[in-house]
Amino acid sequence: MDIKNLTIKSLADGFKAKEFSALEVAQEFFKEIDVHDKEIGAYLSLTKDEAFLEAGRADAVRAEGGEVLPLAGVPLAIKDNMLVKGYPATAASHMLEHYTAAYDATVITKLKTEHAVFLGKTNLDEFAMGSSTENSAFHVTKNPHDTSRVAGGSSGGSAAAVAAGLAVAGLGSDTGGSIRQPAALCGVVGMKPTYGAVSRFGLIAMASSLDQIGPFTKTVEDARILFNAIRGKDVHDATTTNFNDAKSDIKKLTIGIPKEYFVEGIDPAVAKGVDEAVQKLKKLGFSFKEISLPHTKYALSVYYIIMPAEVSTNLARFDGIRYARDVKDVKNLKEVYIKNRAHGFGPETRRRVLLGTFVLSSGYYDAYYAKAQKVRRLIKEDFDNAFKEVDVILSPVTPTPAFKIGEKTADPLSMYLSDIFTIPANLAGIPAISIPVKKYTVGSGELPIGFQLMGKHFHEADLFGIGELYEKE
Amino acid sequence: MISKSEVKHLAELVRIELTDDEEEHLAHDLGKILDHFAELKEVDTESVAPLTGGALVMNALRDDAEASGRVENDAAVESFPDKAGNLLKVPPVFS
Repeated sequence: MDIKNLTIKSLADGFKAKEFSALEVAQEFFKEIDVHDKEIGAYLSLTKDEAFLEAGRADAVRAEGGEVLPLAGVPLAIKDNMLVKGYPATAASHMLEHYTAAYDATVITKLKTEHAVFLGKTNLDEFAMGSSTENSAFHVTKNPHDTSRVAGGSSGGSAAAVAAGLAVAGLGSDTGGSIRQPAALCGVVGMKPTYGAVSRFGLIAMASSLDQIGPFTKTVEDARILFNAIRGKDVHDATTTNFNDAKSDIKKLTIGIPKEYFVEGIDPAVAKGVDEAVQKLKKLGFSFKEISLPHTKYALSVYYIIMPAEVSTNLARFDGIRYARDVKDVKNLKEVYIKNRAHGFGPETRRRVLLGTFVLSSGYYDAYYAKAQKVRRLIKEDFDNAFKEVDVILSPVTPTPAFKIGEKTADPLSMYLSDIFTIPANLAGIPAISIPVKKYTVGSGELPIGFQLMGKHFHEADLFGIGELYEKE
Repeated sequence: MISKSEVKHLAELVRIELTDDEEEHLAHDLGKILDHFAELKEVDTESVAPLTGGALVMNALRDDAEASGRVENDAAVESFPDKAGNLLKVPPVFS
């Protein structure tokens, strides 16, 4: 078993050929995690009992000749802001350090029906707020390609786990790039679905109008499989819907290049990598067209107003009353709030809760929050107009390859800038995927570069279609 | 720009106890971030309606029937940090 290079697809072939059982595969992965995760720090906790239970079920279904679903026996890494009943869901915060999930997130329920195997819960920036996993209350996740560098964030744990071969695939959540940015920095595929494609029930909410759960995989083909397993309407999330895949003639799709995304400040290595991807797609026969998304430069400001506003509201529920209470010896209720929130929330979380409360407060609401919502519409309309001319938009994912641990922690604004190319897709609600420019092998010393494809609402199939042709070439 | 006393007031509103040092730092960080937002003033939004998000602009309706609670009561009670019977226990509102 070549554990490092296993994909959902190759695993399914191996199961079919009886090369190994799901139980054996799960055991191998736990051995691998035991040896290598000390160095990487991808996982916060392991879910061994659950893993062996589902692996056993996957093997039983196969032995009985029942219908074997695509993810049966596939070892997955789950970001620790999604609930798996009976296990911790810390959101990498001291606030939830001793919390045990009381129910399964909808994505987890769906994967359990397929008998997918959850290996463990992965590290993130506290409450998914950050771009480097350095804001985790517990430890920093390191980039498997260079352990002096960040894995990206906020879903750095899931990205690193897949890149290092400590899971076959994984789930993350993406509010402003938290799947695509770490995927690019770790050299794996990461995808943010259309807003409403995947249920957010059981995801610890960060910014409800932006959050989406999506897959981390080694190939685009795998991303499609995992996405198809978790998508669909859910009665517990009113924004979800069922939809039929777009039936585009993939080879005839036109790819747009937004001139505003190719500006000063992009690292030469990123520019070169993205150009390599463009040349390869041209060779595959795709036609390109330059387009303009004129309000791109305002996306960062819009995002850093709307997101903290929603964060300050969503995080009000962590009051030291319902989920966990760490501070004892308090006199009254107000003290419970004040002490628990001071003890439970880290620096970045405090910053955003305060910022969000500020932009929502009377006297500032119109200047900041209302203004940002209006510019958000203009950003979305930029995409609407562009999609009249082209079918898919290609851009860099991040301005730089993985940066050094500690390099950006002192200046929040410089950290925020690492999301500049990923934020617009969340504001517009469109699907977007980060694909490695080429196959990056851990140990080669090369830092991965990704490119991003953004599509029309509910046109995930266009992105997968182009991506699959790209990776086969 | 944001003053230290404004930070103090915000901290009171969000129920987070801050040290003097933290208030200082946050005033500096938030000030820098708010300065960056000034660029939005350039954008003409006179006739633009706010966008609150979402990819689908339609109502999500369900049948007018009794909906069953999803989380078993026991599991929810189990996750309370402090309880009396099956009730969530909190310290007194007034001391």
